[in-house]
Amino acid sequence: MSKIIKLQTSDGEIFDVDVEVATCSGLIKTMLEVLGMDESDKEIVSLPNVSSAILKKVLEWTKYHKDNAPPPELDEPTDISSLEICSWDYNFLKVDQGTLFEIILAANYLDIKGLLVVTCKTVANMIKGKSPENIRKTFNIKSGFTPA
Amino acid sequence: MEGIWGQVSDVAAALSRDASGRMSGPFHTQIEKLPDKILLRIFSYLQHREICNLAKICKKWRMIAYDTRLWQVVSLRPEWSGLHVNSLESLLALISVRFGPSLRYIELPIELITHTVLHELASKCPNLTHMLLDFSTAMQLHDFNELQAFPTKLRYLCVCLSEVIFMEGFMRKIYNFINGLEVLHLIGTYEKTAEAEEEEVYEVINIHKLKSAIPNLRIVNLYGITFVDDSHIEAFSSNCIQLECLAANFCAKVTGSSLKLLLSRCRKLRCLLLAQTGLLNECLMQVEWDKAQQLQELDLTGTDLSSECLSYVLSNLQNLRYLSAGQLDGFNDSVMRNFMEKGNPRGLVALDLDRSDNISEEMIYRFISRFGQQLRGLILSGIPHITDQIWTSIMPVLSRTKILVMGMAEGCCQKIQQKILVDYLMDCIATNCPEIERLELRWDPDTLRYSDKSQKAVDALRVKCLQLRCLVLSDGQYYESVKANFERADRRTVVRTGTNCRVTNSYLLTDYRELMFNS
Repeated sequence: MSKIIKLQTSDGEIFDVDVEVATCSGLIKTMLEVLGMDESDKEIVSLPNVSSAILKKVLEWTKYHKDNAPPPELDEPTDISSLEICSWDYNFLKVDQGTLFEIILAANYLDIKGLLVVTCKTVANMIKGKSPENIRKTFNIKSGFTPA
Repeated sequence: MEGIWGQVSDVAAALSRDASGRMSGPFHTQIEKLPDKILLRIFSYLQHREICNLAKICKKWRMIAYDTRLWQVVSLRPEWSGLHVNSLESLLALISVRFGPSLRYIELPIELITHTVLHELASKCPNLTHMLLDFSTAMQLHDFNELQAFPTKLRYLCVCLSEVIFMEGFMRKIYNFINGLEVLHLIGTYEKTAEAEEEEVYEVINIHKLKSAIPNLRIVNLYGITFVDDSHIEAFSSNCIQLECLAANFCAKVTGSSLKLLLSRCRKLRCLLLAQTGLLNECLMQVEWDKAQQLQELDLTGTDLSSECLSYVLSNLQNLRYLSAGQLDGFNDSVMRNFMEKGNPRGLVALDLDRSDNISEEMIYRFISRFGQQLRGLILSGIPHITDQIWTSIMPVLSRTKILVMGMAEGCCQKIQQKILVDYLMDCIATNCPEIERLELRWDPDTLRYSDKSQKAVDALRVKCLQLRCLVLSDGQYYESVKANFERADRRTVVRTGTNCRVTNSYLLTDYRELMFNS
């Protein structure tokens, strides 16, 4: 039987998570290595930067990619080769902007490379082909430049 | 406890659905909250034209758009989807401010190739290893008398030649800087002048001098250069002991008379691509193919070689893994038999027989039954008698294949009378080829027959072949319905028409990445 660890989110909720799923996160993996695997079932790993709603999404993604599809290719940041993401990810990321950015922040904090890549590509797709004015509108950005 | 919380947050989620049905979650996080590092990653998925736009958004975005890490690979050829730079001054500013030590690859069009630009690149971009210089549209060459410096770490150089501009004034200035070069592309004007009248041919670049300057070449690609002949091939053989790959596709003057020398001198030469050249039987008959143990990849497409000559080559080569033998009237059953019985196809992973239609259905069946299992790429298009029937019968052995091309393109040869039952064929591919990445069916819409259950076969292909990234079909109703099917599953870039995409085996060449140019 696989080991379970407890993760506590910023809003106090505790999740029982399969170690294999949890260690898709570079952060948790390092934590467990430092703590030692045997201790971990007693300890609760605290994730003060992630809310329960977002952790749920993140776990859904890691579970799916652990069981089903191979994780998306870990492109180098400079590789502009492809903005394509798999259809499951596409549907999974049909969320409002706020949630999308929260998932990005969580993927960054938890160090989940694959999730970071697909979410960043999703934002890049939202930018692509738009005029500067349109991009400002889409993301509600104030210009900050004085008009020429 | 978790259960209760789960329920509560589900309720919350349900409540926060707005009138349009779209989730408006509890998060009001704005893009401004993302750290610079993340924005940089997002920008890195966009093209330079887009990134320039992003610099206009706000100060923070401008700063990130100008981060040198986004400017490692830069094309300044607008007609090849690169950036357009309107003045030399702005380019010089870009080089020192934006590119700097990050720059690894640059493409320059003729108007930007000047001694000041090259000096600036040499002094500000110490990590520049790849360079493309496009002289193809040149009317005259800039004056390079003052050229004193040139990037010294180049590993890859691609020069697009013009028909009439002599390069020597430029080349003699750079010979001293490029001895580290490993990959050389010289691109001729074949595509521009294919149909033109016989015109005088100028030897616009001195290949003999050039090769003396670059002894470490591993890969040479001479593409469509009208003046290149066997003496130039010989030139590379005498100095470049490291040579692993030589391509001279579309160099019509090459007859093969120096191949014997080349193969005996360059013992590392594993790849020889001579498609659409003027190869002569007697030249190839002189080559000791049995001693060319190093040779693994060979392209003889579109040459006039006889059956006897092809048999000789294929019976003697011992380590062939890649063979392109398309558009060869001489490629008949006896060539195939000799290849099977006297040669050694056991290492073959890629076979292209496009439009070599003198080979019989039975012979192909025999060959594929024996060696199909090892093939990663198989191209049997343009052969009228290779229909869906033979494909479906050989499909079970093609279980490891990544590339398949089949069918007759419209207007290519005589039309076939028979109808192609495409549903069954698709189903067969889905069942047997789980690793397929690229697939092309060239039959025109009139020849394809499909039923109202055709979507089921397409579903099967889409669901079972997850690696499939390119599916090329002839434009028409069937193409539309397959495209719609993949689009519904958000695999939008997979299905394309034959007019804008062609599948080839070249991805299977060992040096495929290094051989790419103008892409």
